[in-house]
Amino acid sequence: MTEPPDPEAAQAAIEYCYAQGWSDGLPLVPASQPLVDRFLATTTKDPGEIIGEIEQVGRNCTVYLAAVNAAMAGCLPEYFPVVLAAFDALMRERAARGGGWQSTSGPAPMIVVNGPVRHELGFNTAGGAFGPGFRPNATVARAVGLIVRNAFGIRPHVLEQATQGLPGRWSICLAENEEESPWPPFAADGGQPAGTSAVSATLLRTCEFVDNRHTPDPEHVLNDIADTISRTGSLIFKETSAGVVFCPEHAQMLAGAGFSKQGVQEWLMEHCGRTGADLRRAGKNGLRGIARFADSDQSADDSFSRILPSPRHVPIVVAGARNAAISMVVRIFGEWSGTATPVGPLTAAVVLT
Amino acid sequence: MPYPILDPTGATATTATPRPPRAHRRKDLTGATVGLLVNTKQNAAPFLDEIGRLLVEQHGAKAAVARTKVNFAAPAPEDLVKEMAASCDVIITGIGDCGSCSASAVADGIVFEAAGLPAAAICSDAFKVTADAMAGLRGAPGYRYATTPHPVAVLTPDQVKERAARVLDDVVALLVAASE
Repeated sequence: MTEPPDPEAAQAAIEYCYAQGWSDGLPLVPASQPLVDRFLATTTKDPGEIIGEIEQVGRNCTVYLAAVNAAMAGCLPEYFPVVLAAFDALMRERAARGGGWQSTSGPAPMIVVNGPVRHELGFNTAGGAFGPGFRPNATVARAVGLIVRNAFGIRPHVLEQATQGLPGRWSICLAENEEESPWPPFAADGGQPAGTSAVSATLLRTCEFVDNRHTPDPEHVLNDIADTISRTGSLIFKETSAGVVFCPEHAQMLAGAGFSKQGVQEWLMEHCGRTGADLRRAGKNGLRGIARFADSDQSADDSFSRILPSPRHVPIVVAGARNAAISMVVRIFGEWSGTATPVGPLTAAVVLT
Repeated sequence: MPYPILDPTGATATTATPRPPRAHRRKDLTGATVGLLVNTKQNAAPFLDEIGRLLVEQHGAKAAVARTKVNFAAPAPEDLVKEMAASCDVIITGIGDCGSCSASAVADGIVFEAAGLPAAAICSDAFKVTADAMAGLRGAPGYRYATTPHPVAVLTPDQVKERAARVLDDVVALLVAASE
């Protein structure tokens, strides 16, 4: 490059994007045809292929529109196969195909990246897993948000009716710490062979940490996590879904005590729940269909209601640094599809970048 | 020659939706079969049931028949629309009391109008913006529907009846031809 970029021109282009209503509030990278062409060159998919549709609002997203939004989100072209896989994984979620994006709960996608692509593209697989600070993690998640806003046309205060939303919306993209995980990668739980570059995704209503670093007893840790999962505030239906993003230290402690991932899931299914009296005090002891409501009946006060019906309702990921015993309970909106999407082959153009 | 900045919405490719037809209005509801399209939201069923009861009792409707739409976020399935269009004379949809279901209650109303049945959608007043936006998407900007104050889900059975009674005149006005 012979001349430095013109900041005045860049600012004008950024303001133009704001004025069109395309931004999520932060500056966008103005997308040009040559930039978007470099995105499209990373995939064998046709630019006109429809990769997601929201029937009730009559809008869909093509590969081309996904590329424009990914470029605007600040992705590098070589991230685009991961964006496409993440979007595919997300659109496998019933809630994402239904009314999830319009919901008062304002859910946040949680994207999980597995396999060699994590290192090939420079994803953060270690400390600060929930961000910020790393371009691939930050911009892949942001690209999804821009697609919902621009391609689906679901914008805040109009078709999007989040009451409060939640911290981390459009910014959670974890690359699993496979190197320090004692268990098979998360994508294997979604049906992809270990070693495959693949992306999984679900929708979250919030995250809550479990800081438990002063006990050598794995059951103390599990009980602490079960207590967090079992809060009544997040219970709206008979059953719920809550994942755990384990830090490497907790995961290794549990594995050292003989717990497989399935073993942890079964333990949590058995121990997570509330007594009838607890539920009644929170006005959630009655059931109308699957919805909880306040019932004055006290006869079930001593019973214990379990809330996690299957291992798929307790997805387990390992992420973060091996420097403290802090894990995260992630509250899932609806339920995880249980599938992972392989990342399409990186084309020669990408490998050369 | 600089490159243009690309549009991420795809909106330029979308063609304007033609305005869907509005059903012919009856003079009144005497002898009409009222279809209640219940969306499963808390208190939607008793709310619409009470409206149906009041229409029979006070406005001479023949009967009220309730059908449930299981997926509240999506428009009513085609089969259900056909069945109700064949067996009912007017339709009431609701209660739009969430982000997606308010929009879809209005979308259902527009579909029934096009199928030849006067329809009244009922939404909570907290969701007017999203209900209006959906009407615009369906080619019916300015589509009229009835509102009841938010919240609806926490009302007691007696309060639900009181609310139904309060919105009744608006519902009737949406279903019949203006009297003058």
